[in-house]
Amino acid sequence: MMRPSLISLRRPARQILFSSVSTIRAAAPVPTVATHRSLSTSTSTSTSTSTSTSTSTSTSTSTSTSTSTGPGSGCICANGSRRPQVQQTQKLQQQQRQHRNAYHSYDHPSSSAAFTPVEESILSAAYQHVPSHGFTPSALAAGARDAGYLDISPTILPEGAFALIRYHLVKQREELAARVSELFGGEGHVGARPGLSEWEIRGRVEAVTWERLSANAQVIGRWQEALAIMAQPSYVPLSLKELALLSDEILFLAGDSSVDPSWYTKRASLSTIYAAAELFMTNDHSPEFMDTRAFLNRRLREVSEVGGVFRNLREWVGFTATAGVNVLRSKGVKI
Amino acid sequence: MVARPALRRAIPSSRTLLHAESRILRSSFSTTLQSQQKPNNNNNSVPEYAIPDPARPTHFGFETVTEAEKRERVAGVFTSVAESYDRMNDLMSFGWHRVWKDHFVASLNPGFSPLTSSSDPRAPQHILDIAGGTGDIAFRMLHTAHILNGNPDVRVTISDINPAMLSVGKQRSTSLPASQQAALSFLEANAEDLTQTKPLGANQVGYSPTTGVPDESVDLYTVAFGIRNFSNIPAALREAYRVLKPGGVFACLEFSKADKHPLFNTIYKQWSFSAIPLIGQLVAGDRDSYQYLVESIERFPSQEDFRDMIVDAGFVVGGQGYEDLTGGVAAIHKGMKPRRK
Repeated sequence: MMRPSLISLRRPARQILFSSVSTIRAAAPVPTVATHRSLSTSTSTSTSTSTSTSTSTSTSTSTSTSTSTGPGSGCICANGSRRPQVQQTQKLQQQQRQHRNAYHSYDHPSSSAAFTPVEESILSAAYQHVPSHGFTPSALAAGARDAGYLDISPTILPEGAFALIRYHLVKQREELAARVSELFGGEGHVGARPGLSEWEIRGRVEAVTWERLSANAQVIGRWQEALAIMAQPSYVPLSLKELALLSDEILFLAGDSSVDPSWYTKRASLSTIYAAAELFMTNDHSPEFMDTRAFLNRRLREVSEVGGVFRNLREWVGFTATAGVNVLRSKGVKI
Repeated sequence: MVARPALRRAIPSSRTLLHAESRILRSSFSTTLQSQQKPNNNNNSVPEYAIPDPARPTHFGFETVTEAEKRERVAGVFTSVAESYDRMNDLMSFGWHRVWKDHFVASLNPGFSPLTSSSDPRAPQHILDIAGGTGDIAFRMLHTAHILNGNPDVRVTISDINPAMLSVGKQRSTSLPASQQAALSFLEANAEDLTQTKPLGANQVGYSPTTGVPDESVDLYTVAFGIRNFSNIPAALREAYRVLKPGGVFACLEFSKADKHPLFNTIYKQWSFSAIPLIGQLVAGDRDSYQYLVESIERFPSQEDFRDMIVDAGFVVGGQGYEDLTGGVAAIHKGMKPRRK
């Protein structure tokens, strides 16, 4: 099994990645055309550089970040040998690919190995029993029987019935990309597209979110109990993480390419809207969940209205503060 | 607890029995240090370290002894503590070992069957409780399976190397309902070699040794607070792999490392190294046995290392492969024997 090496690698890699990401955030300003892609590229470069010199202090990392212009540029070192460094970089990137990123990236797609093959075989079989058995140990045991295992076998799943819920969340999130690219007409029409207007992106966010909500339709009769399990204290962190990954995925697929603080606010507001819409949907008996779609539209509109109010307020506060300072300066106060 | 006076009366007989069977005592227990293991999923070629060797050095607490010597000394420890074992567990862990054991059994949920359309969905299960001595785990298993899950087709075999511990369990089992007693059996066996077993007290009634536990006959193999005393853990894990059915589960509850919480760990270490031998001396009148107990906990591999040993024996694990209890003072490890390809 490859598990031991993966575990030993995970923590240092994450620490390095985190330090370099935070350095990038600190090293403003970010280029205006920076997209997800450029963000992730500079991250990988700075990470590999700081690792290869093995002096991973924050200053050296930030220096390498600001000077590096592309992958491999930081690899021409004192000894002049470029090739080993490039290989090392590639190996490191491969290793980084194995752990989950906090943002969407072309270069480091999050690992699809969320479940081991045996877990996958039990859970996929158990998933077929969810409409009749719910997200319960009963569905797990029935699935284990279908997969050729024993009633006792699912007890190796550390989270019990929650594993089945997580399976649903992960699978539907991973399948979303394919469904959305079909919806938007082709592979090239999803992902970061700087040319889209804000209005267009809003429409696309609505479409993608609706696509994801529709995927809940076949288990909607059992989704309330799933939400109840997800709300149990020990499962809340994992559930929230899945929600964050989903809202990131939706915004990415919709073509959002923001690199300013709105990156966070957009994801936070979409997360709350999605969670609310999901809850609304569990009680929706309208044909094809029309009411849920209307609910989703209303919430998204509200966010843009509130966002507009906030923008105006910020402008007003900024203008007033500047004007106030200028008035004081004109009176001779040394500011 | 109710059976305590009856238990006292039972102990002398178990002691005499012990003398008669001292040869069996030479076959089990103690830990072997597994620092440098190569992952090996090919079970046809058993690595050298997984073959019991009486002359190989291992450790007994903080001492280094041979596997054979270790076996005898561990047998001595448990013969000496058998009588006060349950009372001491309560004192040393403030009764918390009951919570761990309850959680262990609840997480395994023996006897559980899915509701299917067939007339009776319940499937029979065979649980092998290794180092089950006083029956703590086995009795909980029976309760969960027979009463909570309503599945009377679950039978439990309690196996222990030490007849003194088994006699205590046998005595305690008399307070169980008759249906549960009927589903229990007691087996004297070395966990590293389950091909040579015999029922408890076999010598007295003149049984010949039974054929042992057959291949692929067990649904659930449990070992609670026992595996760190085995003289060769890899051999025991491979024996567990052999007796389990494909899809069967190996589950182990054992003391582990609380290194993730330094402050708590300091207090815990202080308690275990100063208070536990003292309690042992005062209550059980046996300081050395409890000194061995805390030292053996200290020498047991960490959660990750033990998980790797389980994987090395051919099992598959779910998630990270273990669950920490009380910050890692104890840990539950589970592995499943994969289906044949």
